[in-house]
Amino acid sequence: MGSNKINAAYDNEETTDARKKAAELGLTNEDLVSMYEVMVEIRHFEEMATTLYGLGKVHGTMHLSIGQEAVAAGAGFTLQDKDYLINHHRGHGHFIASGADVNKMMAEFLGKETGFCHGRGGSMHIADVTANNLGAQGIVAAQIAMAPGVGIAIKMRKTDQVALVIFGDGAANRGVFLESLNMSSIWDLPVVYLCENNHYGMSAEVGRVSGKVPFKDRAEALGIPGYFIDGNDVLAVYEFMKNAFSHARSGSGPVFVETETYRILGHSKSDRNLYRTKDEINQWKEKDPIIRFRDLLLEADIITVKQVDEIEKKMAKVIEDAVEFAENSPEPNIEDVMEWVYA
Amino acid sequence: MPEITFRQAIHDALVEEMRRDSSVFLIGEDIGTYGGAFGVTAGILDEFGRDRVWETPISEETIVGSAVGAAIVGMKPIAEIMFMDFLTLVLDPLANQAAKVRYMFGGKATVPMVVRMPSGSGTGAAAHHSQSLETILMHIPGLKVVAPSTPYDAKGLLLSAIRDPNPVCFVEHKLLYKTKGEVPNGEYTIPLGVADIKREGTDLTIVTSEIMVHKSLSAAEDVSKEGISVEILDPRTLLPLDVDTITNSVMKTGRLLVVHEAVKTAGWAGEIMASVSESPAWDYLDAPMRRLTGKDVPIPYNRFLERAAVPQEEDIVREIQAIVSNQY
Amino acid sequence: MPIPFIMPKMDMDQEEVVIDQWLKNEGDTVEKGEPVIIVETDKITSEIEAPAEGKLARILYKENQVVPVTQVVAFILKEGETEADLPHVETADDETQQDTHQSKSAIEGKPISATSLAKRIAETEGFDLREVPAVGEKITKEDIDAYLQTRCKIKPRVESPATPAARRFALAHNVDLKTVEGSGPRKRVQASDVLNAVQQMSHKTPDRQSTATKLEPLQLTSMRRRIAERLTASYQNIPHIFLTVEVDISRAEKVRKQLNQKASTKGFPNISITTYLVKVISVCLMRHPFLNAYLKDERIHFWEDAHIGIATALEDGLIVPVIHKANKLSIHEINRQVKTLSQKAHEGSLSREEIQGGTFTISNLGMYGINSFTSIINQPQSAILSVGAIKRRPVVVDDEDSINVRPLMNLTLAADHRIIDGAIAAHFLVDLKDLLEDPEGVINSG
Repeated sequence: MGSNKINAAYDNEETTDARKKAAELGLTNEDLVSMYEVMVEIRHFEEMATTLYGLGKVHGTMHLSIGQEAVAAGAGFTLQDKDYLINHHRGHGHFIASGADVNKMMAEFLGKETGFCHGRGGSMHIADVTANNLGAQGIVAAQIAMAPGVGIAIKMRKTDQVALVIFGDGAANRGVFLESLNMSSIWDLPVVYLCENNHYGMSAEVGRVSGKVPFKDRAEALGIPGYFIDGNDVLAVYEFMKNAFSHARSGSGPVFVETETYRILGHSKSDRNLYRTKDEINQWKEKDPIIRFRDLLLEADIITVKQVDEIEKKMAKVIEDAVEFAENSPEPNIEDVMEWVYA
Repeated sequence: MPEITFRQAIHDALVEEMRRDSSVFLIGEDIGTYGGAFGVTAGILDEFGRDRVWETPISEETIVGSAVGAAIVGMKPIAEIMFMDFLTLVLDPLANQAAKVRYMFGGKATVPMVVRMPSGSGTGAAAHHSQSLETILMHIPGLKVVAPSTPYDAKGLLLSAIRDPNPVCFVEHKLLYKTKGEVPNGEYTIPLGVADIKREGTDLTIVTSEIMVHKSLSAAEDVSKEGISVEILDPRTLLPLDVDTITNSVMKTGRLLVVHEAVKTAGWAGEIMASVSESPAWDYLDAPMRRLTGKDVPIPYNRFLERAAVPQEEDIVREIQAIVSNQY
Repeated sequence: MPIPFIMPKMDMDQEEVVIDQWLKNEGDTVEKGEPVIIVETDKITSEIEAPAEGKLARILYKENQVVPVTQVVAFILKEGETEADLPHVETADDETQQDTHQSKSAIEGKPISATSLAKRIAETEGFDLREVPAVGEKITKEDIDAYLQTRCKIKPRVESPATPAARRFALAHNVDLKTVEGSGPRKRVQASDVLNAVQQMSHKTPDRQSTATKLEPLQLTSMRRRIAERLTASYQNIPHIFLTVEVDISRAEKVRKQLNQKASTKGFPNISITTYLVKVISVCLMRHPFLNAYLKDERIHFWEDAHIGIATALEDGLIVPVIHKANKLSIHEINRQVKTLSQKAHEGSLSREEIQGGTFTISNLGMYGINSFTSIINQPQSAILSVGAIKRRPVVVDDEDSINVRPLMNLTLAADHRIIDGAIAAHFLVDLKDLLEDPEGVINSG
């Protein structure tokens, strides 16, 4: 491990008073509960995904975000319907948090005609362009290169939209990272860069493959305000994203938010976790963002144990229903294989 | 009809379409005050301002990536890649995003964008600024590839390319910029995917594009004195290819020569020949189909070597004579 | 319901795993996510975690056994459940599995020993490894290369190189490409070669397209060359006029019959129509000297006697033996000579004298059924008579105003117009007709 290894932000964690914090952020109790619900929903989706894969019902591979639900929920709650989301391949959570229909997501996951992409994209390419979800790119950092263009479009149209581009620590080492941030910086484009630093680009530990971390330093070097925050603290993510969006929306240019989190599962289904220890994984499991947020809500009496159980069951049902919807959906027509190559 | 240069024709198409459609914008290096490396965009910044002319840092991948991003949200970006050689730098946004998002998003995305790229040798710019890489683009479903040879075609095709809802690569051979041709006043478009017969003939069909159209026309004029009648067919759009027009011509003449500047191996000449082989025109061939192309070599610097690396008029004449007289 | 413990799929292309070790035994309690099985795939060892909390039950696959992914390998009993709750399934134990393996190879015959590379090549190339002879114990890639080389002796399917267009024309015109000489590189048949062949074929046999074969040219015999030269010269130099007359030979036939009756009693051969004609013509020629003459050096030369040639068809040509001084010979003598000369002509034994010196020629194609025809004058003579077939036809008999059936024969005279006017020729022909129709005087004259 390199000397650059990031120290988890919550080593000097303070107890947060959820009510006080929520009030500061302008969130109601209901908002907090629904944030929690979304995190649970994401977890259930990802666990179901892995189960379906194990059962051989999934044709390809997938990239799961268990342990990273707080980033998705925090960002998803900040994103407004009019804003654009430009995503990456580990993107199930972001789509669910931004309100995507899990039935269509699950159907896409199983390659069905009723999926978001009619079975043409699969797990890695879920998109809903009409709802401003510009889709997930399978090429690491490709979405970073696209972001300034979306920013240009917003600027030319003189709207108050924001382009949110999400990527991981791996993408931050691609060349286009520099090109894109630089371009957004020189033109003050309304782009929020959300770096989801989950410590690993496939098997590459972030400190080992990065000259200097955190990456927000690189953004700052290009004249972009940068923040490095605890990505397993959903309220912190929400807070910083909210500010970032305001900044970008006001025409002040791009913002860079780096969230530290952890990828509990392997990179994809073929990962054997040979490059990290069980201890390390277990340590991060202790910092599970869902449990953490649950305890915070219980402590502040915003939610009861019974409610927690109910949410668990409710979300399990939502996902089971999604699977049922997907499994009962038709396969795409073979004759339509050439459909949509050209407009 | 007024005669204008190829450069002016492209310039006019850009300006006219920017005036007509406010979602059209330019993005690229040195396209502002400098006017673009080949002067095509001269004066456009003055008329439209920085809101429509996005002069970028040297960041090719993000130029084209941004074009994709803007196109998906409904703009009509026209990116300029200073030299087609830099295609290698922009292949990810072109091949993996522009060409594929519509399909992999199940038809939900549309990518109306144009990438202009000056191609070809003949300027002494050597290996990094002289390539003809059309075939790489033709290998990617979802893209369209346009390669005009005359000012008239350039303007009509560029207007169609900008209005096309798909990503279009617009290849401009550098040696054509100064060439002149008649271009009517006012708006006109040429549909993509339609070939043009530049000269009619009966003994041999030459399929060729860009600068090689002109070299082939001269060669055809030469051999006409020997009584050889050559038909010259310019596909104009390389993807999608107008296979029907090509096969019809081959059925008429019974002989096919494909001339392109790009290197031979896996060049588009092979694609044309394969298409003819698979068509009814096969039964009408009275000679093996031949390719006359750039040599399989990087473009050299020395002027004589550079000339030798790509087909010249005299090579085309020789090849025509050889095919027609069965001497090969 | 107990929860099925499914062997999960871990890789996109993974089909099976080998169970390395069970970390738990049947009856042990497991936590959700607790490692329970160690499996091996492609030399990587992975831990398989329990899908749920409970008691491990009915392990279906033992250690070192191969498990296809997505198969149930065991069950987990939830709290309160017992083995009795397990579904009824067949256990797949070692023995049955091995049995099936063995019986499978027994069915396919002797087991094939080959390297994995060799097996893969055989699979992709699509041939049976059992056909491949091995040098060593196992079939190797080298063995396959050697085998493939012996198998593939290239003989072009197409024997005649031809362009696609040439093939299309050949097909359309039913031309065998092998018979067409190619003008293209390496004798490749071009479209134009086929079209030329088609054109030549249509010249030769206009209504037959079946063969484009050129027949061997026939070298001219000396006889044929001579005939060709003489006829060409005659036709080019002599302006011919042609006159035809119809002759009623009913009386002549009667006379000939009487003569033959007499002849048979004397042991003479039957008198032919040719003999009869020669006799009558020789008499007639004496009355019409211009028909028994010739033009040379601006003079007309007359012959004293009638030397009558008889055109005789042979297999490879034509010859004209001559009855010399026919005007002075009896009909029986003429008949004898006609027969002798005809025989000699077919034997090819005519002497030079016997074919020289003719002054007038008759050509008879009546035996072929030809009604009338014209002939070319046999130089240096000035006329030739073409004799048609004798046919019985209805005629109006002039002085009776009634229709009778009579044996009729057409005679066509070709005469040298330079020395013979039409009237002269007509006089001769009418005179001849009269003599033939009223032959008694002539015949009895000698």
